[in-house]
Amino acid sequence: MLVFILRRFVLLFLTMVLVSIAVFVIAESSPGNIAKNVLGAFITPEQEASFIIQNGLDKPMHKRYLYWVIGNDRIALKKIGMPLKKITTRKGFEEWWAVKKDGSLLRWKVEKNDLIAINRLPDGTRKDYKDNDRWQTIGNGKKEFWGVDTQNHAVRWVKGDTEKVWAFVTGKGWMESSGGPKEYIPLKKGIIRGDPGISFRTGRPVSKSLFIRLRNSIVLAASAFVIVMPLALLLGMIAGLEEGSVKDRVLSIGGMMFSVVPEFATGIFLTLIFSVWLDWLPGAAVLGASAPWEKPVMLVLPVLTLTLIELGYVLRITRSSMVEVMKSPYIRTAFLKGLPYRQVIMKHAVRNALIAPITVIMLHVNWLLGGIVIVEVVFGYPGLGAYLLDSALYKDFNALEAGAMIMVTAAVGTQLIADIIYTFLNPRIRYA
Amino acid sequence: MPDAITTDSTAKKKGRLKEILSILLSSKTAMVGFVIVMFWVSVAVFAPYLTQYTPYEQDWKAPNQGPTAQHILGTDELGRDLWARLIYGARVVLVVLPVPEKIVLPGGTAVWGVVIALVIGASLGLIGGYKGGWIDEIVMRLLDAMMAIPVILLYLIIVAAIGASAINVVIAIAIVGVPGIARLVRSLTLDIKTREYIRAAETRGVSAWFIMFADILPNTRGPIIIDAMLRVGYAIFAMGTLGFLGLGMPPPSPDWGSMVAKGRTFILMGSPWAALWPSIAIASLVVGLNLLADGIREESSRYR
Repeated sequence: MLVFILRRFVLLFLTMVLVSIAVFVIAESSPGNIAKNVLGAFITPEQEASFIIQNGLDKPMHKRYLYWVIGNDRIALKKIGMPLKKITTRKGFEEWWAVKKDGSLLRWKVEKNDLIAINRLPDGTRKDYKDNDRWQTIGNGKKEFWGVDTQNHAVRWVKGDTEKVWAFVTGKGWMESSGGPKEYIPLKKGIIRGDPGISFRTGRPVSKSLFIRLRNSIVLAASAFVIVMPLALLLGMIAGLEEGSVKDRVLSIGGMMFSVVPEFATGIFLTLIFSVWLDWLPGAAVLGASAPWEKPVMLVLPVLTLTLIELGYVLRITRSSMVEVMKSPYIRTAFLKGLPYRQVIMKHAVRNALIAPITVIMLHVNWLLGGIVIVEVVFGYPGLGAYLLDSALYKDFNALEAGAMIMVTAAVGTQLIADIIYTFLNPRIRYA
Repeated sequence: MPDAITTDSTAKKKGRLKEILSILLSSKTAMVGFVIVMFWVSVAVFAPYLTQYTPYEQDWKAPNQGPTAQHILGTDELGRDLWARLIYGARVVLVVLPVPEKIVLPGGTAVWGVVIALVIGASLGLIGGYKGGWIDEIVMRLLDAMMAIPVILLYLIIVAAIGASAINVVIAIAIVGVPGIARLVRSLTLDIKTREYIRAAETRGVSAWFIMFADILPNTRGPIIIDAMLRVGYAIFAMGTLGFLGLGMPPPSPDWGSMVAKGRTFILMGSPWAALWPSIAIASLVVGLNLLADGIREESSRYR
């Protein structure tokens, strides 16, 4: 069994690698468009080029992928020759600084031919001073310097030979300035070290908004799951007990109808019934930044929509499993032994009928995730799904990729759990 | 001799038609599904004759109206006739594929998506199943990885990368459908591969490609056809979802999903019609297809 689980782990790892490559390649195959989305449709080609260089989008795909996964601060470290440190400001922005020998933090900018160091002391005060000693002479009389700029890049300046740049200045938007460097490495730690990068849409680290969105989605999914599971298993078993009866037909056809209707249609029907016609519930979630459990009434319709959709699927699987069990010889034997009906069902049938649904349900998490995206959009619920959609439409690929990897991890992880549960339930695998 | 063969095959065809008809007639579920599906198919085919409006015609004097004598289902926020938009929307799903530059292919968007998925998926499944070995291993691991990605995510990423248009919806539906079909065809191939007529063909020295596509593929058609029917239903579901998320047809075209997305904002303002009708349309069509497939499957397994 250990070998089996280990093999599944290796496969899971391979899958994650493949998926991350696929997600990355597809999402970043057209980097030009993100510049248009961030800077507006009327940007000049120079502005676009400046944007692409600053964000490291001019680098070859395989390098960008590596930087995205494991980060590039080590490469920058080698070039700068000073340790680098990431801090979070009080406003929630991330800043990269080089660390001076005395422990204070350093960044640089270039004005005309002067290298200006920005020194951030441990108490938070800043002071600027000329730092021309750091220029290093390279061939044909030129001088260059690798350092950290004010926009979180490791950059290479060449003395007296600067470029025009368009840089994002918080609160002011995109500004043109001179004194730009020749080469950029946009610093990041990489997704496996917990840094998915900066969102192009908000300018803030992706991980921060992602965490809140993920929490909201988990609340939604968990409430739906808690309601669906017992209900669907119970109804499925009731339907499966008497195959072909009226009860069975109503339940299984009803379940099928709920599960095949697109989530947005179900959402619209429920909104019409409960918030327009009956006027019981609010039709859209207006949560803002507050946690979903502060206004639980907002959760009712989204959870109900998810419940209806998942209900049908689980119900049908449980039903067919129950039907199969009821036809099996050991149930007949139990009846012929003269055991009471209740005991046969509860002790012999139900236990065996539950094995199949529990593993299949885990595989269904894939679908649940899809449902959550739609339901969040229908009801304006601030969850991971809505965040992903906005990111995809904006081509904010740092956010899109991070959200996608979370979703994939959830899907693949539950599949692994399903496999492990299955090995415990199925002795043929356990002793193989 | 040729005559005899043709009459034989027509007789066979007649027999099969009769079989399908008897299944339809004997199963209430299948019949209900069939009627719903046929309603939408015929409405889609004859759409230009069923309404005096075009789906783009705006009547700015009468936006967001309920059903009236002029507009039997009402109008949307731009005063466009909802019945016209609904049936032209059905046309895009089931009957025509609007390629840009005003060229239109026969066969609906959903149908094309499934057909392309079938071609690619069946080829991969055949090659993997018949050749076996490392080719099979690589193909299957890649498809496993694809299946591990939540479907909605695939749609989001694909459309984010290539933009929204009818062709791209077809591509998205096709890509998502490939792994499932490939697995099905592969398992069928593994079974058929061991049959004697394949051994015979191999002994004759027939090329591997000929065996795959001329001997194995035709014998997998039964399960594939039923699977394809369900897939069309799912493709319609996916089209609606894509349209709803703003990833479907570009704006002015009558797309059920985007109609719902637009109309949704007016529900709480007291005019639910623009969101209600397309929701009902898509729900009924998908349920109809599933009832039909369910009924046929149940009925055909009963006599086996």
